[in-house]
Amino acid sequence: MKKILLQLTIVIGLFFGTWLILSQVNWMKLLRIEKITKNTEEKLGDLFWEIYKDKEIGDTLVTKPVDSILTRICTSNQIDKSAIRLHIVDIEDVNAFALPNGHIVVNKGLIVEALDEGELAGVMGHELAHLQEKHVMKKLLKEVGLSVLISVTTGGGGGEVAEITRLLSSSAYDRKLEKEADMKSVDYMNMANLPPDHLANFLYRLGENAPDNMRYLTWVSTHPDSKARGEYIVEYSKGKSNKSRPVLATQTWKQLKTAVGATEAE
Amino acid sequence: MIIDNVSYSPTDHEAEKASNSYLMSLVAAIAGLPLPIINLIATFIFYMGNRKGTYFVRWHCTQALLSQFSLLFMNSFGFWWTVSIVFSDAVVTNYYVAYVITVILFNLIEFIATIYTAIHTRRGEHVRWWLYGDLTNLICPR
Repeated sequence: MKKILLQLTIVIGLFFGTWLILSQVNWMKLLRIEKITKNTEEKLGDLFWEIYKDKEIGDTLVTKPVDSILTRICTSNQIDKSAIRLHIVDIEDVNAFALPNGHIVVNKGLIVEALDEGELAGVMGHELAHLQEKHVMKKLLKEVGLSVLISVTTGGGGGEVAEITRLLSSSAYDRKLEKEADMKSVDYMNMANLPPDHLANFLYRLGENAPDNMRYLTWVSTHPDSKARGEYIVEYSKGKSNKSRPVLATQTWKQLKTAVGATEAE
Repeated sequence: MIIDNVSYSPTDHEAEKASNSYLMSLVAAIAGLPLPIINLIATFIFYMGNRKGTYFVRWHCTQALLSQFSLLFMNSFGFWWTVSIVFSDAVVTNYYVAYVITVILFNLIEFIATIYTAIHTRRGEHVRWWLYGDLTNLICPR
């Protein structure tokens, strides 16, 4: 019996030992798995963006100020801005979403609805966090699956591209990932000297107005419990510095609002 | 792996049955891929069918069955790990690739050992595997 136990221990040890030794090799690099994953992400991002491409706003009065806000967030948080592709699209819905390969799509409706640059920055920070924390690919892998994603990138899933894009643009991530993105956004705002609690204000306000104009409030309707989120964002922001250094001059913000067609009241 | 010189000489029919217990696991493993349980089930059915056979046949059916158990654990773990990568949000890591290579390596050793044993058992030789042979001696009554 002793002999058998010893032999069994040797076999188990041999198995785990082989596994441990082999796992010291960087297979990801050797088999170019990371490169293949990156290529897949690039292809997916481009495919999904194609759906919105026609609606992109090219007016520099709109793109430049929003880009300046994103640049401030990125540079203050050591995020490679060149890897982020910011797009503003001519869609009335109050929405912003992230697509694979660093695409952030901001709807015109979101800029119209935001009362100040802090609110817009807060939402953009939230989407940026989804990208930085790799939530986008996690969500796709979880809800769509690797096999479908590969079929889409190899041209086998024509009808699925629109369906997956809809999934990314108008459905929330799971609660844990949403909270993580909210907290990360507060951290980004704090580092960028932007008001960290304005995202909470935005959520509170849209959450209260939701029944009147729910049709356009995609970002809020797909991100449930806006008030609860607002509360924990405020709570998390409490310990943060309240230094605020605006990115845009008041005049530039007004020009941006006018360019997207917002009235004075908005 | 040890070839024992035992005084007992099995009949041709016994040697064929004993050898088939190993072949059964091989055929089922190929047919049942990628489900790792299939070869164990097939070997178990063959074992049940021969549990009233002679000692030589029973002994080899038991050794074949036991050898499938260890494979079942490592292959099942690898199978479900792969499923979680393909159908959920698990990602390929160095640990995963290393595990797959380790499992392939162990399966290969088992595969070669099984073929070798099937051939020698067919000739009526008593092939006793390291660890599995002793385990079989322990649980297979004369």
